[in-house]
Amino acid sequence: MSLRVDGLRVYYRSLNGDVKAVDGATFEIADGEIMGLAGESGCGKSTLGKSLIRMDARMRFVEGRVELDGRELPIWDDRKMNAYRFTDVSIIPQYALSALNPTRKIGALATELLAARGIALDEVMQEFKRRLKLVGLPESVLERFPIELSGGMRQRVVMVLSSLLDPSLLIADEVTSALDVSTQRAVSELLVEFRDRGFVKSMIVITHDLSVLYQIADTILVMYAGKLAEKAPAETIIEAPVHPYTQLLLSSLPEVGIRYAEKRLSGIPGRPPSLLDPPSGCRFRTRCPFAWEQCGDEPAFKDLAPGHAAACWKAA
Amino acid sequence: MQASGWRGRSELLYFAFRNWKFVVGIGVVLSMLALALVGPMLTEYEPLSFSGPTDEPPSSEHWFGTTSFGQDVFSQFVYGLRAAFVVGVVGGGIAWLVGAAVGFTAGYRGGWIDDVLNMLTNVVLVIPTLAILIIVAAYINVKGYTTEAILIGLTSWPWAARAVRAQTFTLKTRDFVDVARLSGRSTRKIIATEIAPNMSSYLLMMFILLFGGAILIGASLDFLGLGPSNLISLGLMMNNAFLSSALLLGLWWWFIPPGIGIIAIVGGLYVMNVGLDEIFNPRLRET
Repeated sequence: MSLRVDGLRVYYRSLNGDVKAVDGATFEIADGEIMGLAGESGCGKSTLGKSLIRMDARMRFVEGRVELDGRELPIWDDRKMNAYRFTDVSIIPQYALSALNPTRKIGALATELLAARGIALDEVMQEFKRRLKLVGLPESVLERFPIELSGGMRQRVVMVLSSLLDPSLLIADEVTSALDVSTQRAVSELLVEFRDRGFVKSMIVITHDLSVLYQIADTILVMYAGKLAEKAPAETIIEAPVHPYTQLLLSSLPEVGIRYAEKRLSGIPGRPPSLLDPPSGCRFRTRCPFAWEQCGDEPAFKDLAPGHAAACWKAA
Repeated sequence: MQASGWRGRSELLYFAFRNWKFVVGIGVVLSMLALALVGPMLTEYEPLSFSGPTDEPPSSEHWFGTTSFGQDVFSQFVYGLRAAFVVGVVGGGIAWLVGAAVGFTAGYRGGWIDDVLNMLTNVVLVIPTLAILIIVAAYINVKGYTTEAILIGLTSWPWAARAVRAQTFTLKTRDFVDVARLSGRSTRKIIATEIAPNMSSYLLMMFILLFGGAILIGASLDFLGLGPSNLISLGLMMNNAFLSSALLLGLWWWFIPPGIGIIAIVGGLYVMNVGLDEIFNPRLRET
């Protein structure tokens, strides 16, 4: 097991109380697994991803245990986590396009980043150049300023930098959202290639774009309102989802080649509950077409088949 | 300033030399500096010693004439220029260092450190600086321009600190600073490599304004007779001219050079600053 997360709760501090963004997450990622993390905006998927590497000042670690390669990650301690960042856990941030200091050339930037980890650029220069070539960037980018690179190039530079030290777990946070469709495809394929070449052992790809996940992810974890809804191999999630939320999420996707002239594209009626004071029982209850009395109690996130787990009374 | 390195610099130079405000400003300031450096070698007279007939108008012997005490005005003027630049560099430099250090620390650290530093800044800001300087200068009997400049520097930093603090606040939330923090780099390095370079034009212009400000404050103090009295400066020349009723006696060559000197340096710096603003800020450029 590469990553094991057990009962993780991460809340946001606010004046009105805690916003329960991640409320009890338990899952595992195997070696070599690319796990997609999907869900609506505000469902806690980015919070879950970020909390595995660096909590920002507003986040509060409540409880839970995170193990990476058998070692516990001290995710509540910002300083202790320093030892794990980039070497064990790394992130391609959501804002990859603005993650490069506009006053530094790429080479200088890499030197400074590595120096903070106590590594001289020369030691990894060979590998760095090899990987730049792999993602289709000329060596000359080292002598360029970020402003001279296109969005896709900057994204690839950030990808190479974040995986340069061969982390065990790479978190890719919305890496494809800001890119056009063809660049999205190239970037997604690179993520798979990084895994295949063993640059990273396992990966969490956070996105709301299920079609991207279907292409690259081995498994998909769907979150709803801070809770895990369903985790299964990508095929199963797309072909045979059991959780009503997953089903509705998929039916909201338009299909290419079909004209929606007569039929309106169906969405999910209602809106996600406030995480400040989430409803009791199943959080999807208020929007779920299949809700019944039992849903007033909270369903457990339990295994239905090997590798397939869901939190729904109907699925049991 | 988005770019540095040779391409970035040459682009800046291109715009710099097309900007007449910058060219005129830096031209005036540099010629004054040249005069301050070379001037004392051109004259054989000591600024404070008796060197000839009193109250003499400009002549080939005494280029700017002489004072009521028979001192050579040109010699006083060039030595005074030197003093002005010393006060500007030391006073402006100290104010710049203190202001930048306080501003960066307060802005980047935030929290209670910011509260304390900001309170200190506001306290120093509302204290009438000139009054403090008058009292301090009267008590410790300033002996040289460096002491005077240090006093000026230690009292004129607050607005610089506030400006840097505000800029740091906006920069520290940028994504690339977040990435630097993620890599576990030390705070000092993050400020030096991620934040300061992104406001380098701002820091340069701040220094220029502090430099000009220090010269003005220094001249005011000297004019009031609170500067070193055993040396010469532009302010002290005006003070002497005023006390000897040079204006009433029509000794224009005595009080006009120091006035022009101060106006040229400070005015040149300000015009240069406006020009620099246009050079660094592409939105103000008149291509």
